[in-house]
Amino acid sequence: MTQQLTAAPPRIGRARAAFVRPWLLLAPALLVLAVLLLWPLVRVFLFSLQDYGLREITTGEPNWTGVDNYAEILSTPELWTVVLPNTVGFAVLAVAGTVAFGTGVAVLLASLGTFWRTVTSSAIMAAWAMPAVTGTYVWVWIFDADRGVFNDVLMGLGLLDDPTNWFTDRWTFYAIVLLNVIHHGFPFVAVTVLAGLLGVPKEMLEAAEMDGAGSFRRFFSIIVPQLRQVFAVVIILSTIWDFKVFAQVYLMPGGAGSNRSVLNLGVWSYVESFGQNRYGFGSAIAVLLTLLLLVITAVYVRTVLAEEER
Amino acid sequence: MTRAMRRPIAAAIGALAVAATTAACGGGSGDDASEGDGTLNVWIMQGTNPDADDFFDEVSTAFEEETGATLDVEFVEWADAHDRFVTSIAGGTTPDVAETGTTWTPEFADAGALAPLDEQVEGAGVTDDLVEGLVEAGTYDGQLYGMPWYAGVRSLVYNTEMFEQAGVEPPTTWAELEDAAAALKEEFPDKIAVAVPGDAEFTVYPWVWGAGGEVATLEGDTWTSQLDSPESQEGIEFWTGLATEGGYSSAGATTWRETDVLDSFAAGDVGMAVMGSWTPGAIVDANPDMDGKFAAVPIPGKDGGMSPSVLGGSHLSMFETAEDKDLAFAFIEMMTTGEFAQKWGEQSGYFPGQVSLLDETLESTDPLVAPFAEQFVDGGASVPAAPTYGAVQAKATTSTMMQSILAGDADVATASAAAAEEMTTILNGSE
Repeated sequence: MTQQLTAAPPRIGRARAAFVRPWLLLAPALLVLAVLLLWPLVRVFLFSLQDYGLREITTGEPNWTGVDNYAEILSTPELWTVVLPNTVGFAVLAVAGTVAFGTGVAVLLASLGTFWRTVTSSAIMAAWAMPAVTGTYVWVWIFDADRGVFNDVLMGLGLLDDPTNWFTDRWTFYAIVLLNVIHHGFPFVAVTVLAGLLGVPKEMLEAAEMDGAGSFRRFFSIIVPQLRQVFAVVIILSTIWDFKVFAQVYLMPGGAGSNRSVLNLGVWSYVESFGQNRYGFGSAIAVLLTLLLLVITAVYVRTVLAEEER
Repeated sequence: MTRAMRRPIAAAIGALAVAATTAACGGGSGDDASEGDGTLNVWIMQGTNPDADDFFDEVSTAFEEETGATLDVEFVEWADAHDRFVTSIAGGTTPDVAETGTTWTPEFADAGALAPLDEQVEGAGVTDDLVEGLVEAGTYDGQLYGMPWYAGVRSLVYNTEMFEQAGVEPPTTWAELEDAAAALKEEFPDKIAVAVPGDAEFTVYPWVWGAGGEVATLEGDTWTSQLDSPESQEGIEFWTGLATEGGYSSAGATTWRETDVLDSFAAGDVGMAVMGSWTPGAIVDANPDMDGKFAAVPIPGKDGGMSPSVLGGSHLSMFETAEDKDLAFAFIEMMTTGEFAQKWGEQSGYFPGQVSLLDETLESTDPLVAPFAEQFVDGGASVPAAPTYGAVQAKATTSTMMQSILAGDADVATASAAAAEEMTTILNGSE
């Protein structure tokens, strides 16, 4: 009896401690996350419900307008005819291009000896390390109408009679952005996939080879399934990055808003909100973009998980 | 497996959160504003005056002698300046005095961040001695918020070598300009006779005004853009026609900004272009061979005379956060009138905002000073002094019009009607 009585309290204490301890240990990190990420997120959401401009900033008075900003965004015809098609279409192509090219380079790297692998990976690192702004100016220079290398070569070959301005047409404009973004984004994919490739058990590949599987078969039936998680990471991250492309479009000739047919979500939201001091409107766009990306990510992760379970 | 799967999700959510939060926290760290300890905090734009450091050393010394207060000058990049002003206005950390671009002054005044200067300007006795175009640009709701400091103006700059070789004289009417362009094209088929840039709104308005049109007019409280009036359309038609019909410009120019015009002109590839009074130095810096090989004339009027051109420049504005407003104005007065204003103009290649100082500049015989000065005094104009004009610029309304005409996507009537409608909407802030 006495034994039971004395034994009981410590057990409850232990249970509570077991419950509290992980949260206590997590608390500092959670607190930092809450202050740095959660609070700004909440603020962005609150701004998105207001007509928030320079005057509201100076006076500090809120100016609630309910869901007006959201209604305005969704009822802008430009969003549906130009901005979203450009953004989504570009993101799909850019992600596909970046992942395909990056994987190709990773396979190449995996088959190289140590020396050439070092040389090649240093070279692709240079593309990765180049700031987006610098890279964009290089591509602009290459495709410049009057002094660009690209037009010179085409005219030298007799394929083009007069200089063409590649930046005025929606398709050629985005072809250049695509080159720029893939060039800047593939090293990350290559390096990540390479790490995964090196982790594929040699025995499995050898066994498959013994069974008569060719190199393509080995790649798609053994390596790709093994790398599913790696691909999940690179695809999700690339999707997020390519959805938010800004500098690579904004800095191109005509990309800052004067060529309306090439507006994407990043530039459009900047021009419409920050350029015009309409911070509430911009916040609403940011909230919608966040939701959109969350949905894409969730759907993608679910499909990957479902395949995994099958 | 599931643990490994969660990591990408967490990473993705983290990245998303970062994406969303960038909207909330721009810039951040403001500077300590007026500390009330006899220090005056000043923001000046970088790059206007190549010797700005020496200049402000001198100003600091003089200012300290006169007022006993120390001067703390911070140089701000033009490109970041607007964002920094907005962040500092939000955080209440604005400087005491700052250089504000002429189109920003009404905007910041509208936000309640600036202090009106009328009384002090009157006290200093310079009210009638200020350049009118700059006063107009700095006036909001009947009060002066921006003290005219300096400005430049755009005129027609031409390559004298190319003109001599093609045997043409600098044009004085629109017809002559077109003839000169034709002659230049004939002589130099691979060069650009006249640059018609698509992304440079200030090179468009002279032709609008020259044809008798207006950019926008204010009636009561309502702005109406006049870009689609018959007069404006005639001007736009002439200017873009040089490219689309005459072929005197280039395909690349469709997306050019003024900096691209400058690069090509400095490379000797352009016969004539609308360029600013501050560019001659930059042209020679970029290509010393161009020294002495170019000159300027005021932008020709349609049938002679002059087409008006935008006075682009800066005010000095006092912020409401300034604790000692008299001290702040003492600095403004020192900078914008008399000796230092003149010196700043000489060093930077801009014109001072005080009329009596300009008289001396007007007597200059320099082929790269006199024509600009003439344009400045007799052919200066201002863009609509609306707090929302910055929004029109951010939306690139005029550039959109120009680019669609130059790229052949729309005719002048359609493009100018769309631009006028958009500009009217934004100017009235009803968007």
